[in-house]
Amino acid sequence: MKQIVAGLAFMLLPSAGVASPESYTFDPRHTFVHFGVDHNDFSTIWGRFDRSSGKFTIDRQAKTGTLEVVVETASVSTGDGVRGDRPRSRDEHLRSPDFFNSAEFPRMLYKASTVKFNGEVPVELQGQLTLLGVSRPVTLAVDRWKCAPHAVTKRMICGGNATGALKRSEYGMKWGIPATGDDVKILVTFEAIKD
Amino acid sequence: MMRRIIIGAMIAAIPFAAPAQVENYTIDPIHSFVNFSVDHLGFTTIYGRFDKSSGKATLDRGAKKASIEVSVDTASVSTGDNDKGARARSRDEHLRSADFFNTAEFPRMTFKSTAATFNGDNLAELDGQVTLLGVTKPLTLKLERWKCGAHPFNKKEMCGGVATGKVKRTDFGMKYAVPAIGDEISLMIGFEAYKD
Repeated sequence: MKQIVAGLAFMLLPSAGVASPESYTFDPRHTFVHFGVDHNDFSTIWGRFDRSSGKFTIDRQAKTGTLEVVVETASVSTGDGVRGDRPRSRDEHLRSPDFFNSAEFPRMLYKASTVKFNGEVPVELQGQLTLLGVSRPVTLAVDRWKCAPHAVTKRMICGGNATGALKRSEYGMKWGIPATGDDVKILVTFEAIKD
Repeated sequence: MMRRIIIGAMIAAIPFAAPAQVENYTIDPIHSFVNFSVDHLGFTTIYGRFDKSSGKATLDRGAKKASIEVSVDTASVSTGDNDKGARARSRDEHLRSADFFNTAEFPRMTFKSTAATFNGDNLAELDGQVTLLGVTKPLTLKLERWKCGAHPFNKKEMCGGVATGKVKRTDFGMKYAVPAIGDEISLMIGFEAYKD
């Protein structure tokens, strides 16, 4: 009798299918970190980093995931990259020690190990951003998510948009606050190809 | 005598019409950019901007009138992929080609306003015409943000803000890869202009 009960109990366990974590690599030509910051309380200046790379894993059954993105700080681009007759362009200023200090800190790193799901769709990433050598928690909300075969290459793609915000002073980047805003809005637009 | 008094009283009763005070402004090209976004294959949004534009504006606060004329250098399109590497072309090069902006033939895109709507003292909306690839269509820009005042450092009088709008690129004959690359283009324009 005990064996029958045990057998039945075992059959009632949710079918633990073989864990299927999938691994994706970000497509650098369709993945960009964008940011927006207030300028003198008059307008918003947007910028992006032209070069980044990274990977993520996702397990829709276990509802887990990891993410690692490396951003080249020297690739910052805000539309003013040519100095003309000025001592420096804005992008050159951003690469200087006043801001990203890209000579000393060529990379910014975001690592997430907690992913919140809504069903099979990731909706939030909790991780750490390391900028100017300082690591702080940053949460990204996944506002858009879609996985499907690429219409042309047929390879499996997951793409979307994620947003977040941070205070740059918390990383030691204090130049120009508050005229040039402390609050930075982040938007990540991404496409990743299944490995 | 009575007539002169009546006429005098009538003249005094006319609301004092302040003379038009038209201020002229020049767009600051280092702090003014047309940003745009477009859907990519239903997966993500690709953002881009035009690095070079120029323009002038007029503002008459008393009469609640404003006008703007902006010229965008189409070859300055910038979407973060400008180095072709081992490929035939980068995305930005493709955008400059005849498939998209055809910058060799149409080096400029322009916006000329035709009407301005104010919400109290603040500019709220600009109606105008955009000319792209030689085709002119109406465009309404909504001011999400507007402020006039003295620059905190150089003290020069300026106005700045953020304007948004949408266009359908096929309206201008830019049909390449629709709908895989979206037809609807969202515009987000951050601007600052100094009083002349």
